[in-house]
Amino acid sequence: MSVAEMPDISPISLFDPTAGSAVPAELWDGITDKNLGDWEVEWLPELLKRLRILHGQGVARSKWPQSRLWDWRRKLQAIEGLLANQCFSIVCNDMTQAMMITDLTHRAKLDAKQAAHLVYVEYLETAPWNRKEIIGQEPRLSGCGSIMIRAAIELSKEEGFQGRVGLHSLPQANNFYANQVGMEDLGIDKDYQNLRYFELTPEKAEAYITKGQQP
Amino acid sequence: MSKKTMTLNLTEAEMAALEALCEKKQMSKTQLVRQAIRLYQKVDERIEDGGKLFFENEVSKEKSEIMML
Repeated sequence: MSVAEMPDISPISLFDPTAGSAVPAELWDGITDKNLGDWEVEWLPELLKRLRILHGQGVARSKWPQSRLWDWRRKLQAIEGLLANQCFSIVCNDMTQAMMITDLTHRAKLDAKQAAHLVYVEYLETAPWNRKEIIGQEPRLSGCGSIMIRAAIELSKEEGFQGRVGLHSLPQANNFYANQVGMEDLGIDKDYQNLRYFELTPEKAEAYITKGQQP
Repeated sequence: MSKKTMTLNLTEAEMAALEALCEKKQMSKTQLVRQAIRLYQKVDERIEDGGKLFFENEVSKEKSEIMML
């Protein structure tokens, strides 16, 4: 898919840890020019500010967030018109809080003989101010990652993939996918930048959705 | 996202193959056809960009090229 003009919008809630309350937000079925504008004008300067601090503290570049190298505009251009890619974004207070690109043409590695399709999360990034590991304090809003994974599961079910989701995780997110989402850790993938590969089975996907519905 | 409906005319053999694939993949006919279009489009684009599509035998490593129309 390309840059979306009129995405479908679903109401969702994020959490404001400072206020301790839920905040109404929207899940957009696409990435629009507005989202890319937010990334360019708001995310990048904020990220650069944080990188300056890390640099000043002498933190090795290998420890800096790898997503600093992601160019969302270029990524969207690369998948222009392709049905294989579905995009999502989260907007709250008129500001993009997270973006995700998925690919629907990958196959599951768990139970590989079955060659089942899954939703592969190609890129998922939350705004710098929502990332504790970058800002070193409570995020402005939390819950973006969970909502995106839920969106990937729902897409997987809608397309007949029974909730299967796969992804290569950046090191700082390994714990989230393994312990909060409950994905199977298939270990380091030497063919993919030595990142860990995680996969969600239909059973674990259902358990994750059910967990999210509990009060 | 809004969807459009179409009528698809298939031979008996084509319908049998579609139904067998649906059964095997546990997908509906609509889901399977949508997936087939995605894959065809992606492969076609890669080939237009100069790529080649191969199957590789896991044991012998022998490769056979798939022809695309």
